[in-house]
Formats: sequence, C-alpha cells, structure tokens
Amino acid sequence: MGDLMDPGRPPLASSISRRTALGVLAGTGAAAILSGCGSSDNRTTLRWWSPQAAPDQLKSYKARIAAFEAANPTIRVVFEPTSDEGYPAQFAAAFAAKQLPNIVTHLPSFAAQNYYAEGLLEPVDDVIKVIGTTQFLNGTNDIYRTADNQHCALAIGNTAVDMLWYRKDLLQAAGIAAPPKTWDELRRACQAMQKPGLYGAALPYGMNAMTSLIFIGFIHRAGGQIFTPDLGVAIDSQPTYDPLEFYRSMREFCPAGASNFSWGESLTAFVSGATATGIYGGRVLANVAAQNPAIAGAISCTVYPTMSAAIPAWTFNDFPCLMIPKGAPHLAETKAFAAALYQPEFYIQQLHAAPGHVLPVLKSVPTDPRYQANTLIARYPAEIDLMTRTAATGHNLGQETAKHRPNLKANEIIASNAIAELVQRVVLNNEAPKPAVAATAKRLVELMRA
Amino acid sequence: MPDIALQRSGLSRERRDALLGLLLIAPTVLVLGAVIVYPLLSAIALSFQSVYTPTLEGHWVGLANYRELLGSGGFWAALLTTAIWTVGTLTLQILIGVAMALLLHQNIIFRSLARSLVLFPYFLSTVVAVLVWRWLFNDLYGIVNHGLMAAGIIDAPVNWLGAMPNAMLSIMVVGAWKFFPFVVIAVLARLQTIPEALYEAARIDGAGPISRFFDVTLPQLREVLTIVILLRTVWDFKEFDLIYLMTGGGPVNGTRTLPLIVYQQAFGLNQMGMAAAYAVSMMLVMLVFMLAYLQRARKAAA
Repeated sequence: MGDLMDPGRPPLASSISRRTALGVLAGTGAAAILSGCGSSDNRTTLRWWSPQAAPDQLKSYKARIAAFEAANPTIRVVFEPTSDEGYPAQFAAAFAAKQLPNIVTHLPSFAAQNYYAEGLLEPVDDVIKVIGTTQFLNGTNDIYRTADNQHCALAIGNTAVDMLWYRKDLLQAAGIAAPPKTWDELRRACQAMQKPGLYGAALPYGMNAMTSLIFIGFIHRAGGQIFTPDLGVAIDSQPTYDPLEFYRSMREFCPAGASNFSWGESLTAFVSGATATGIYGGRVLANVAAQNPAIAGAISCTVYPTMSAAIPAWTFNDFPCLMIPKGAPHLAETKAFAAALYQPEFYIQQLHAAPGHVLPVLKSVPTDPRYQANTLIARYPAEIDLMTRTAATGHNLGQETAKHRPNLKANEIIASNAIAELVQRVVLNNEAPKPAVAATAKRLVELMRA
Repeated sequence: MPDIALQRSGLSRERRDALLGLLLIAPTVLVLGAVIVYPLLSAIALSFQSVYTPTLEGHWVGLANYRELLGSGGFWAALLTTAIWTVGTLTLQILIGVAMALLLHQNIIFRSLARSLVLFPYFLSTVVAVLVWRWLFNDLYGIVNHGLMAAGIIDAPVNWLGAMPNAMLSIMVVGAWKFFPFVVIAVLARLQTIPEALYEAARIDGAGPISRFFDVTLPQLREVLTIVILLRTVWDFKEFDLIYLMTGGGPVNGTRTLPLIVYQQAFGLNQMGMAAAYAVSMMLVMLVFMLAYLQRARKAAA
C-alpha cells in the first residue's frame, strides 16, 4: 500500500508491462475456470421441458422442484421452457445432438405417439402404476396406448383448447339472448357486436400451428375429417370446402392482424377487449383476471358452434402429457420425479397456476376442497365444468375420432403448416377452395408417405 | 557446423524450411478443415441421403433430393422471394447507410454521440428488435397504425405483416433498420480518408455539392461499397431469424425465403437430407453470384 502511494514510483498502469498484464489475465482466467470446476456440485441433474411456462406455472414448478430436491438431496432438477410452436425443432435438435431432456410435459398426445413410434421415448407404464392406474379418470391414458400395448406417455392434464369465449354484456347489448350454436348464428352475432374499436372474433389466419389446429376443428364441425379412420387422406370433400367459405366470411369480423395471429395474439385480442368473442382454452380466465378485470364478470364460454345444429360438437383437446425421452440418463430418478408431479398437493398447485386451462386428470382432484378453493375455479364453476366435460370427449389430429387409428405423422403435418397454408390461400389470396384443397390433399399424401 | 549437421540429417536447407513451413501452417489447416471443410462435406454428403433428423439415421438416395427440390415449384418460388428480399433490403441499407455516413461526416452538433447511437440497431439482439417492431406494426395497439390514423392518412389499421406486399416491405424496412449501421461504419471510415485536396480542386473547377458527391465522393467509395455490397448480399441472402420471427414466411409463402425452408425441412419435417439439399443449393446460388461478381471486378480492374 505504502509503495503504491510513493510519489516516486511511476503510475501503476505504466509500471505494468503488457506481458505482465497478459500473465495476470491468463492466471485469473485459469483460476476462474478451476474454481468453477470445483464449485459444481455432484448432484444428478434432471432437465425438465414444458411449453406451459407462464409466471404462475413457473412458481408452482419451482415449489415442486424444491420439495423434490429436499427429499432427494442427490438430485437437482432444472426447468427449461419450450414453446408450442417451437418444440418440434427443439426436440429434433436435442435428439440429434444427444442432449436430451429427462422429462417433457404438456406436449400434445400426437407428439408422444410420433416420437414413440420412432423409438425416441421410454414407455411409462411403470410410472402410471406407481401413481395408481385407478387414480386417473377412466380412459384418460388410452390415447397414449401404443401398437405394442404400452403407454408412450401419461396424461398430465386435459385442455378444451377451442372453446368459444364471449362477452355476455356485448351479446345482450346486441339483442342476442343466447350464445350462438351454429355458424350462421355466430356470424350474425359477430356482425351485430362489431363496431369501431371492437371486432367480432379473434380467429387465427397465421402461417402457424394454431391456424392448422383450429381449422381442423372447423372441418369436423362441418361433419368432415382430415383422414379416414384407417388414415387415408379424406380432406378433399365438401365438409372442407364449407368451413373454408365460412372461415373466409369471418375474416371481416377479425382484426387486420389476425393474418398473423398465433396463440398469444388471439388470446390477447379477446382478453384486452378488442374482440367480442375468442377461441381458446381456460387460460382466458386467469388472463382476464390479471390483465382486464373490468370484463371478468361478463365473460363466459361454450362449445364452438357447428355448421348446423345436426352436427355434433367437436372439441380440440391436445391431451397434454408427460413423456420420458429414451437415452436420457438417470431413468430411475426421472421416473421418481415424474411420479412426484402427481402428488395431489403439488398437482393441484400446478392446476391452480393455470386454472381452467390445465384440467385435472386424477379422479380425486375435481372434488378435492383444495382444488375448489381457487378463486377462479370458484368464480366460474359452470365454465370449468363445461370445459372439463368437453375436454374429456375431445380429440386431435393424432386420433380424430374414437374410430381412428393413431396418426403417427400428425406432428409433422402440423409442423408442415400444410393446413394453415390452405387457410391462407383461400382466405388471404382469395383462391377457390376446391383446387386449394386438392393441392393440400396431395401434400398430405406426400407427408404420410415420407 | 550447421552444414555438417544438415548433411548428417540427410535434409537440405530448402527441404527443412519447407517442412517447417508445413508444420507452422498445419494448425491453421487443421482448424479450417474442422470448422469449414468437414461441415461442408458433411452437408453435401447429407444432401444425397434421406435422414430422419432426431436419430440422424438414413440411407443413400443419390440425386433424389435434388430432383424433388428442382422439380417442385417451392424451391424456385423461395429463390425468387429470397432474391427480392435481398435486393430490396440491401438497396435500402446502402441508401440509408451512405446518407447517414455523409451526415455524420459533417461538423454537426453532438457528432460523437450521434455516431455512437447510430450503431444501436446493429448491436441490438434480433429477437428484441423483432419484438419491438411487431408491436410497432400491431394493428390493435401499434403506434404506426395509430400515428397514421391520427394524421388522417388511413381510415382503418393497415395489416402490415399479414398481407402482401406489406409483409415483404415491412421486413425489408426492418432489415434495413437493423443492418444499415454496418454500411455507416464502413463508409464513414472511408470518407475520413478521402483527401481534402480532391474536394478543393473540384470546388476550384466550379463543382457544386451534387457534382462533388458524384465525381469525387462516390468514385472514392466504390471499393468499400463493393466490399460492403458483397458481404451484405451474402448475409442477407441467408438471413433467417429476422424473417422467421417477423412473419414466419407468411402470408401464404409471400416471405418464405430459402433459409426458412431449410429450417422447416430439418426441424419441422425432420428431413435433414432434404434440408441439406436446400442448403447446398443455396450455397451454389451464392457461388454463381460470387463468380459473376469476381469476373466483373476483374474486367473492371483491367
């Protein structure tokens, strides 16, 4: 210290040669690397992926992880968010690079079937057994049953993804007594409610998975299907032309930016009050409560209208599941953590993080007072009940109806945006439906063959 | 003594020097081989196979991927879209970049601050920039539409990203905003080295500001602009993240450039072989441009 203050010494900067400075830097770097190596703990690390990563959900996951780590001091769990639009790419890259997550939750059932068929997932029958086969709602895990009579995944929740959300106050102001049940009624309602600053609907027209997944529902609500039960391409038919015409007619009731809407934009359009109706799952409840509580008393939902009253409703349930990639290390620890996610205390906490959006799959939960204690679940019992019932009978492209064989190419069909492109060509480019559908049918045949 | 030692080792001085040279260059060759040649050969090899991305398992298909690629309208449409995007955004970048460099070369107030701030878009993460621009273009809450409506220029919100040609124009503008600072940096550096005597001579000859720009400044900038255009053409041609995040390639296929198809083939459809075929085709297209450019440059120099 004294030397440094000595006025006779040259200034510190000029007294240090470049060689010395480089030496110090190199030494510091090496020390940092060594200390980093020394400080890493020896715990087993489990990586957990999920596209469901809203702030409240992250909080509930952290609580689950903390409790699990406390009970298993040799294990560390790291949560890594993925996204509904981005998981196919992340998954492909992870598998190709052999950098696999140990556990993946909230991906759709068709993704699990697809990956299992390619030999990329572990069967999870023993996890189901540990939780208790009879603990699950009847038939909940059937959609994950594989050709070799195992389960490629297990249900972690149910979601009624494409409910029609509406504003009771706006319907009333437009002189409409009941929510629409058919497309004609829906169009009339949107027309009656639309005014400057308020659009009728928040349908997606973007080049993305949401548009594909939502439009598949419209084809079913016209009595059609994408594939026959034995997976022949069946899209080129009248029940596809009709919904295309309807979807095109709805464009004028949607915001200009709907041509780019995906899940977030569509949800926000309704929640913010920019549209009178919305199409989404139960996440609307939490988002309205947090972002636009002024309309919380006026919102409700019903099953999305069909082309005619004679056609039964069809609801898109992505059957969010839990899967375990094959080849990831620490399988026993992973399975233990997977089972721990279903312990009622923490399972309910997860459901409460997205009330009404991720619906319970364990029998005991819907009537559990701890589950019902949630403010939003208590406030919207009719909506939650409807979504729970509707989701239980829902379907997705992985198995369009109970008669359909599992479609192992569903994941790639959605990722190809073939159906979203069909919607855009007809609605945005104003192409005739028939040739556009014929081209899509050809594309689907190629994808099924690939 | 050294000669005796050389004779004893049986190597001439030239041969030893040559060996030493090889030894010295070997690390560079190894590194370049590992990071450039190996990936390039791997990509070419992949393009002749059908490979399932997650497992990287596949089989040889010869030229089938290329036949399918060249036979489909998708490749040619995407190539045209890529060319339109590249030319459009590059033109804007050059115009804005040169104009800004000329402005920052003047003795203006807060010049140093302005020179620092102008680099901001270039340093900003693409993800952040796209988020900001998507909000600006948003039809419900975006300031662009609000501003235009408030000024009475439009009656209803414009669909900036969901309709053509708006979507292409929008991404060109965002691309120009993001990358014009690169042009500014290069041009400004060159402007500072142009001898003042050239301008004085031009003034004596009666040249006005416009003549001085076209007869003095622009010829002096030719070399640096050639390099900038070459580099930015390569970078813009393979631009992925900005376009993917702004429009995802839509509406329909309006902004679907070749890099977006490579990504979708590799990670959406899990067809790594086909993705590699697209990537190699992109490289060949760039190679054609490069060769044409080099030939032209050589002719100009002669």
